[in-house]
Amino acid sequence: MEFSTALQLTISGLTMGSIYALVAMGLYIAHLTTHRVNFGQGDYMMVAGFLVLGLGRLGLHAILSVLVSICMLGLMGYFLERVAIRPLDRFKRISVGAYGWILTTAGLALIAQNSVELVWGKSAQYSPPLFSSKRDQMVTIFGARFLLEELIVIIVAMTVVACFLWLIKKSRWGKAIQVVAFNPETAELLGINTKSVKIFAFVVASVLAGVAGVLIGPIVTLQPHMGLVFTIKALIVATVGGFSNPVGILIGGFLFGICEAYSNYFDSQFGDLYPLLIALGMVALRPSGIFSERSDDVR
Amino acid sequence: MFARDALSGTRAPWLVYLAGFLACLLLPYAGFSGFVVHQLQTFCYTAIAVIGLNLLLGFSGQMSLGHAGFFAIGAYGSAITSLKLNWPIYLSIPFGTALSFFAGALVGVFALRTRGLYLAMTTLAFGFIVDIAAQRWVDLTGGTMGLMLIPQVGGSSMSSASFNYLALCLVCLLLVQMAADFISETASGRSLRALRESEIFAASVGLNVPIWRAATFAFGSACAGLAGSLFAHQSGFIGSDAFTVRLSVAMLIAAVIGGLGTRSGPLLGTAILLVIVETIAGQEKFGLIIYGLILLFVLLIFPEGAAGAIGRLSSKFASGAKSIVYNVTKLGLPFNQFNGLQLEVKGLVKKYHGVTAVDSVSFKVKAGSIHGLIGPNGAGKSTVINVIAGVYRHDGGSVILGDHDLGFKGTAQRASLGLARTFQNLQLIQAITVAENVMLGFKPRWSLARTFFDWISLKGCERADFEDALSVLQFLGIADTAKKLPGEISFGHRKLVELARAIAQQPVVLLLDEPIAGLNTAEAKKIAEVVRQLKSLGVTILLVEHNMEFVMSLCDEVSVLHYGRLIATGTPAEIQANAEVIAAYLGSKGSTDD
Repeated sequence: MEFSTALQLTISGLTMGSIYALVAMGLYIAHLTTHRVNFGQGDYMMVAGFLVLGLGRLGLHAILSVLVSICMLGLMGYFLERVAIRPLDRFKRISVGAYGWILTTAGLALIAQNSVELVWGKSAQYSPPLFSSKRDQMVTIFGARFLLEELIVIIVAMTVVACFLWLIKKSRWGKAIQVVAFNPETAELLGINTKSVKIFAFVVASVLAGVAGVLIGPIVTLQPHMGLVFTIKALIVATVGGFSNPVGILIGGFLFGICEAYSNYFDSQFGDLYPLLIALGMVALRPSGIFSERSDDVR
Repeated sequence: MFARDALSGTRAPWLVYLAGFLACLLLPYAGFSGFVVHQLQTFCYTAIAVIGLNLLLGFSGQMSLGHAGFFAIGAYGSAITSLKLNWPIYLSIPFGTALSFFAGALVGVFALRTRGLYLAMTTLAFGFIVDIAAQRWVDLTGGTMGLMLIPQVGGSSMSSASFNYLALCLVCLLLVQMAADFISETASGRSLRALRESEIFAASVGLNVPIWRAATFAFGSACAGLAGSLFAHQSGFIGSDAFTVRLSVAMLIAAVIGGLGTRSGPLLGTAILLVIVETIAGQEKFGLIIYGLILLFVLLIFPEGAAGAIGRLSSKFASGAKSIVYNVTKLGLPFNQFNGLQLEVKGLVKKYHGVTAVDSVSFKVKAGSIHGLIGPNGAGKSTVINVIAGVYRHDGGSVILGDHDLGFKGTAQRASLGLARTFQNLQLIQAITVAENVMLGFKPRWSLARTFFDWISLKGCERADFEDALSVLQFLGIADTAKKLPGEISFGHRKLVELARAIAQQPVVLLLDEPIAGLNTAEAKKIAEVVRQLKSLGVTILLVEHNMEFVMSLCDEVSVLHYGRLIATGTPAEIQANAEVIAAYLGSKGSTDD
């Protein structure tokens, strides 16, 4: 393999990896706060991609349609928490038990898929590029040619992840989230409104999915049923990274993306299965993730 | 909660199954149209898969989002062996089922280390991988174009062939339903519920948690595999489009809509699912929206499902449901001799992330004596108990029961050696009655075959265990709570139930972790009396407790921990006079700690 091919594969891998990391960050913040995640996270991403596409076709300016789409995703996050997550607290002891949220969020995901299908049709669609002037605008670095769009996607995704990390670690909301994650009752006693913190977590999660959707539109084809794959991969990335460590999730996302790029290059038939199998093997060997410490439940 | 327990039934199960079997043989003569027969076949194999899913999710609480994968493995296993290797159907279907069983066991091994969200993710990914493989491994599976001319069950004509196949499907369904009923109505059903609510608890009554979880997973997968095999031979064609995640979701919908954790739920749910599928057949455009809305509707508004709703209605109309009243015939405990052993802790060390919680602690609990373990908060008492019980692995030293070093044996193994415990934070199984909680402690009385025979002939396979549980409860003075759920009785009684469960394990050593914390004086006196009686029956008891009066009046010997170190061991009188102990509790002059 030539050096330039390797470099190109690596950049493509990093691009997809940063998308996985964005989607997985959403899973991370929701899981941290409520121990639940949106099993339709990938579908939310898909919805954002289609919204940008649709609004653009209506003649809205690109920046405006991106902003509107991301705000819509925020609203969808709010809706998700109110409809599919919070009401389940009422029946903790029934047999669906602790995992009812998997089914309710999956239910919303199905509704989202079908709605998109009704509006934009079943076939795959291309979104116009956001940053470059035409679809395949290339830049040449060290003799290797890259899609400009991909490079900018990586940079934007990294910026968003950095903002997210600041939000989690430094801001007041982030601290509130840490407290709710530690113990909701303690949080209530400290005067933190746990309900709004949980809503906030799901809104941020959906916004992250929205950003991912906006970015991914121009680099892959959009298709109403694409979401599940991204949900699965993001879940795997989050698990491999260790669900409690955002930096680990970021690294996990990059590793997964690169692994996938190379394995697709060498085996076009089953290429996308190998990273999944490797990751599952890793989960089996180290269920708490490679970058997280195992904590004992000391009572 | 809605499951019928094996005690209250009045009809012999075998009659029901025999009637079902006769119906299976007669149904082909009912003169149904080809369409109805096809639907009935579909109902049978779908129900088989849903029964497995219900056992997995409803009883053992393990989520599988990849059941379509096991279904596909069964289908391809049976289709390919019969098509390409010319195996007869009666061989290929069991083969497909077995293949899924092993796939399930394999995923179950993953499942051992993962819980909840992770398990859901693992199974989702598994289903996805199988789906992709089925699509792209065209040489083997035919991909979306599928495999055609898969051998089918023969018959003298087209319609008699499909009737024969219906009979086969029905018999399979009957057998699976019977197996699931047997599992859920006997001790194994209790164990699964215990496993779902608290694994630490399940292990502490001697259940080998990993094996149970993997076995449930394998059983659930085998059901899906059998269903898939039957599907493959139904119309002689399978294509990879049939095995997407949508199938997994449909099966989950059937399980949830019918009522998770109930016997009739899977059958009802499958029937409802098929009606829905038929109704929306013309509305393919809105199919997913309808599925999604059903999921939300059922989970948010009707979480007990159809079986739960029916159960509630029927109990409203037939409030005087027959239940056999049991009298306590045996006075005292079902076992009158405990062979208490000596428990020795030697140089025990336990560290949490470098913090040494227990530092080379050694003491001996003499056979048949009561030994107290005391110390200020954070002294390491609970850690010692948990290490002895096998919940935590120690970092040094050893725990010796009798003359047997326990090494790194797990909780379940220790429990089966006779090491029973109670918990500081009560661990009772909320979904089953008090008596059943106690029954969890008993070891299996008879072989599986004998239990099955008793169950199917309604000899009351549970009766002996129930009576013994009742007499243990009677021994503690709370026999009247036997039929209640743990959530319905007072905190003091719940503590006694925990003790009752530990006694049911017929322990050689009993570990009591703060048995009277949170109790009033009368209740504490009751516990003290029970502990004394147990001692006189020969049980060795290690007791952790903060209440000094309780400890000093009961114990033969007392050990004192302070900051993870043993600072004194001796008779209560010696301990009360020990200057270091007094300093640890009250602080000494010039002491800087606290």
